[in-house]
Amino acid sequence: MDARAEELFDYVQERCLWQFHSRSWDRQENIEGIITKGIELLQGKTPAADTPKDRCFLADARIMVADFRSGFPWIKDADAAEIQQVMEQLAQLLVDVTVTHSKNRELSHHLY
Amino acid sequence: MPMILLDCDKDIPERQRHIYLKAPGESTKDFLPIANVATIPGTLSERGCAFCGAKLVIGGVVKDAIQMIHGPVGCAYDTWHTKRYPSDNGHVPLKYVWSTDMKESHIVFGGEKRLEQSINEAFDAMPHMKRMFLYTTCPTALIGDDVKAVSKKVMQERPDVDIFTVECPGFSGVSQSKGHHVLNIGWVDQKVGSVEPEIKSPYTINFIGDYNIQGDTQLLQTYWDRLGIQVIAHFTGNANYDELRSMHRAKLSVVNCARSAGYIANELKKRYGIPRLDIDTWGFNYMAEGIRKVCAFFGIEERGEALIAEEYAKWKPKLDWYKERLKGKKMAIWTGGPRLWHWTKSVEDDMGIEVVAMSSKFGHEEDFEKVVARGREGTYYIDDANELEFFEILENIKPDIIFTGPRVGELVKKLHIPYINGHAYHNGPYMGFQGFVNMARDIYNATHSPLLGLAATDIRRTAKAKLALKEVA
Repeated sequence: MDARAEELFDYVQERCLWQFHSRSWDRQENIEGIITKGIELLQGKTPAADTPKDRCFLADARIMVADFRSGFPWIKDADAAEIQQVMEQLAQLLVDVTVTHSKNRELSHHLY
Repeated sequence: MPMILLDCDKDIPERQRHIYLKAPGESTKDFLPIANVATIPGTLSERGCAFCGAKLVIGGVVKDAIQMIHGPVGCAYDTWHTKRYPSDNGHVPLKYVWSTDMKESHIVFGGEKRLEQSINEAFDAMPHMKRMFLYTTCPTALIGDDVKAVSKKVMQERPDVDIFTVECPGFSGVSQSKGHHVLNIGWVDQKVGSVEPEIKSPYTINFIGDYNIQGDTQLLQTYWDRLGIQVIAHFTGNANYDELRSMHRAKLSVVNCARSAGYIANELKKRYGIPRLDIDTWGFNYMAEGIRKVCAFFGIEERGEALIAEEYAKWKPKLDWYKERLKGKKMAIWTGGPRLWHWTKSVEDDMGIEVVAMSSKFGHEEDFEKVVARGREGTYYIDDANELEFFEILENIKPDIIFTGPRVGELVKKLHIPYINGHAYHNGPYMGFQGFVNMARDIYNATHSPLLGLAATDIRRTAKAKLALKEVA
């Protein structure tokens, strides 16, 4: 695992509430949606914001990316492929801790 | 061994699974206190009941509804104005309490007639109020009173009134958390979608999980007004009954207290496609971040930045004055659940305070995931702590200040440790920029007051007193 992904993971764990939504599918959806938007922003692309869900992911991603840029100077020098790789590893780490190996016993309850 | 068995718990070793001491390098996939489970017989729990979670926390905040409590008068009295939520219509939720005042004979012969009479009496006595929350309690649920049938009959006879029934007796869950759940789901099932709001702005939100404690909602409302954002419904601070029926029309659900109201945000997402955005509203850094996110959703970032700049200019110097004087203070947070994770980093970042122990009465494991991720190493994380555990932890951590409720607060006062009301505040509001300065001021006053130190001194043992006593003898 890239040490840079672990740095970002530590930041997200401490800062971001979206990784801790109520059920495993909410968490997975948020992680995938926000990290995808984050990758696009970091790569200088314009993410889609057509649906309310898109705009919500983008709102969270914008703040996260702004903090990444100010807190982790190396990110400005990373090329698109590196960003893709580090952010995908970040997503894996988040899924591993907050979904796959989470000890929260309510995560898979079918009702809210 | 990070899960801790305290000395006072040697006879109830099951408590070990509820107490965690965070060590370096650990994450929530390694250790997590178990939570939202039945209290172990023999411990002195500080929890409230499920009915209390529905009435005191959420329903009772609504400012234009009669809160009819079908049960003994104690259930009504004990959930009345112990939490300070004012309202802009003369503080109705704090002024009035309603109960069917069930006695033994009603338990024996049934309470439905008494309930019907009480509902009609209440509407007759307060003809300007046309909305009602109707709650069952343990005894009326046990005898099987059909409150839904009674409310239906009254609504047929009085077509201008609307009644929401909350069937959540105290025994129905392990803590007040069950009441939050029942009310959330009941409301979205029975009432959301039954009123159409007047849309006044292209930017509409539901603000969920804020109960206007000492004016929190009203303070935040000034931000939404300045940003041009219409709050379709506050769930439920300073809220009208009918605005809560129109939650389906908001474009975004902004969630503060995810524990008491995450359910309705999830259901609004599932049923109406309204996305859920969780934010923190206590703390400068967090509040600014929350405003930025909401504004980013609507594409009005520049308005958000202007508001944040204005608020920082006005309040940050004041916060920094307190931060200088609070740096290094040790704090314990013993509240319901979410305030642990809302506060632990915000008091550290914005005030320089270290949170050394946190206890949750009704938090779920989700809340512990959040707080352990945010909290410090070497800090205790406790689920449903009991009185003896509090004393032992205090001995271990020696905090300078404790945020907790008045009940536990009275205990810690006897140890001459200052406490601040973590549920209803001392001199709030505490949310937002101004609110966090209020919170810092209350902590400063509590930790710098000489009173508790003086109270700890037994004046009979001073040299002067000894001499005086000797002379008298």
